[in-house]
Amino acid sequence: MFSRLGAILKKEFRELIRDPLYLSLTLFVPVVILILMGYGLILDVKNIPVAFVDFDRSALSRDYRHSFTNSEYFKFYSLVGSYKEAYELIQSGKCRVVVVIPPDFSRKLYSGKPAEVQFIVDGSFPSRAEIIKGYVSAINNQFNQNLLHDFSLMKGVSIKFPIDAELRAWYNPALESKNFILPGMLVTTLMFYPVLIASLVVVREKESGSIFNIYCSPVKSWEVVFGKAIPYITVSFVTYLILFAITVGVFKTKFIGSFFVLTLATLLYLACTIGVGIFISTIAKTQITAMLIAFLGTITPSFMYSGFFSPVTSMGITGQIMSKFVTATYFIGVVRGVYLKGLGLSHYLPNILSLIFYALAVYCLAILFFRKRIG
Amino acid sequence: MRLLSLVKKEILQLLRDKVLIFILLWAFTGMIYTAGSGISLEVKNFPTIIYDMSHSPESRELVSKFQKPYFKILAYVNTEKEITEWLDSGKASMAVVIPPDFKRNIDGQGAKIQVIIDGTMSMSATMAVSYVATITYKYAIKLLERKMRVTQKFFNDIPILDERTRVEFNPNTLTSWFMSLLELFNVTTMVSLLLTSAALVREKEYGTIEQLLVTPVRTWEIFFAKIFPTCLSVGAFSLISIFLMIKGVFKVPIRGSLFLFYPVMIFYVFTMSSLGIAIATVARNLAQSMMLMLVILTPMLMLSGAWTPPESMQPLMRYLSLASPMRYFIDFGYSVLFKGNGIVYVWKDIVGIIFMGILLFSFSIWWFGKKIAK
Repeated sequence: MFSRLGAILKKEFRELIRDPLYLSLTLFVPVVILILMGYGLILDVKNIPVAFVDFDRSALSRDYRHSFTNSEYFKFYSLVGSYKEAYELIQSGKCRVVVVIPPDFSRKLYSGKPAEVQFIVDGSFPSRAEIIKGYVSAINNQFNQNLLHDFSLMKGVSIKFPIDAELRAWYNPALESKNFILPGMLVTTLMFYPVLIASLVVVREKESGSIFNIYCSPVKSWEVVFGKAIPYITVSFVTYLILFAITVGVFKTKFIGSFFVLTLATLLYLACTIGVGIFISTIAKTQITAMLIAFLGTITPSFMYSGFFSPVTSMGITGQIMSKFVTATYFIGVVRGVYLKGLGLSHYLPNILSLIFYALAVYCLAILFFRKRIG
Repeated sequence: MRLLSLVKKEILQLLRDKVLIFILLWAFTGMIYTAGSGISLEVKNFPTIIYDMSHSPESRELVSKFQKPYFKILAYVNTEKEITEWLDSGKASMAVVIPPDFKRNIDGQGAKIQVIIDGTMSMSATMAVSYVATITYKYAIKLLERKMRVTQKFFNDIPILDERTRVEFNPNTLTSWFMSLLELFNVTTMVSLLLTSAALVREKEYGTIEQLLVTPVRTWEIFFAKIFPTCLSVGAFSLISIFLMIKGVFKVPIRGSLFLFYPVMIFYVFTMSSLGIAIATVARNLAQSMMLMLVILTPMLMLSGAWTPPESMQPLMRYLSLASPMRYFIDFGYSVLFKGNGIVYVWKDIVGIIFMGILLFSFSIWWFGKKIAK
């Protein structure tokens, strides 16, 4: 029984090696993607162009403006004279935030009264708008504490700011986004790329007609499925080793966990994703359909639903349901954990068990749907 | 006439694949629905634990400010060790530690609370931290005002800067408006590229391209006939998607003119299809063309400017991104549909899309003539 599986394996491996261009593409493509995304996908919101409408034009309002332009988050764009011009800058997308300082700004503050300052934030990218709002508040808080300090000195009473929040970020102390993006990219790349390379393996034979050779041979469905899966798991495993070396070697991502645990989980994960590809391949009738399902079903979902950008707990109910189907959801916790938290194997058991269960389900489905029948 | 019969053949071929049509329909409705309703990029229900050593009315009042929708308090813990366990296991992403001398220090030299955050997800961590800062800050101001009223009767106000923020175009920063449009743009991009490319590669694989070559049709006619059905189907499906999902389900306020958006979108489909044709002329089989599409499409989708702000990209990547038609389209799409901008604001994007389209289409004809037609 294993001799039949061996024969299929031999045939599939030979087919892979016979197309050296394709083989080198399969190794080269994920590497290029990882490098491009590693350099390009920057989620830190920095250098936000800011414009000011300063109706006050006092020393205090100038100080206040400087507190924005001196921070690394904002970049001075222009000082405009009217509200209308400022709005124009937001409308055209040249500025992401406009600060409107009222005419009585310094007078009110010097006389000990609150002053209203208006901020207009471009909301076309909501998560960016939220982050900008956070930065604006941080600058205002700082400015207010200084004001209060000066005021208490002036009045001769001691006013201390009652509460201060002190931040400590565990696992990624400087909140560096590369420590967040590169492990995530490893997960997503190893999600869409194995699915894609595996999605054509069965349907290609269906289109060219060579599948009939298998239909009329004594091989069993499971032998075909595993015979097709194992060579591609091998190829993508080699890719994993290269990608891992790049994340740690080139991008200097923090890695404190055990390579063994990561590799073990990766093997399971690749078995799942290749399995998904083969399942798509067994249900599709044409290569175009298989490819379309693979592209639409993996690239953006692996980023959106896996918890790459935002935690699954923040998602709506449909998002949470989708995330259960995306293999990357189970793997991303393991990868981020191993890279940044460095915990033992026992911490990942729930995720690893889910991956095992996922693999079982996918291969059962693939074997079930691979019918040795015509039509 | 020649062109007409070619176009007819391609449309028939597309329509015959019922499964394909079904997938397209799902992509333009179902995928947009799940993306719009499922994804939220803001921090919601952030899993939080509290370690309150003070047990004072003030500490309880502060904790009560950590509420839904931003935070979800999972537990109150009593030891440092428990914090480690919660964060290590990933069940909680944030711990707020209130020291035992909290109440005493509020009246004295200022109290410090400690916020421990799981840094593995740096983006949501940054947002959560800014919410925490705002919450504690607002509470501090409230305490201060309360204290003022009791002790110093001679002044009622304190000089603070009162921040009034208005988020333009999307006042409640609803992710559903942003995500449903983004998913429409993503699906349009992917489908235009994949469908056209696959249609041409398939002819190469089967060898039927030779049959076309011996007929009197010109290269551009073959390509145009491949692109036309894609424009037609994407055009039709995107209308369903705009009216049914984006306007219907998510109630996105379409401020701009659809008469401006729609023709440019069709031209964008042409541009992406030309990219697909260019890939198909270079690749030998579908597997190869798939790898090429993957390496082009993934960076294009993720670096389009929707996730990464172009202004914080590294200069090299920013210049590279100028070669991507999707960068122009994203800018154009949000600008017109969302901000209601007219042609004055977006003509540069339109020029970019048209330029890339013509460039890619001519490249394909040139390469095809050089390599295959000979």
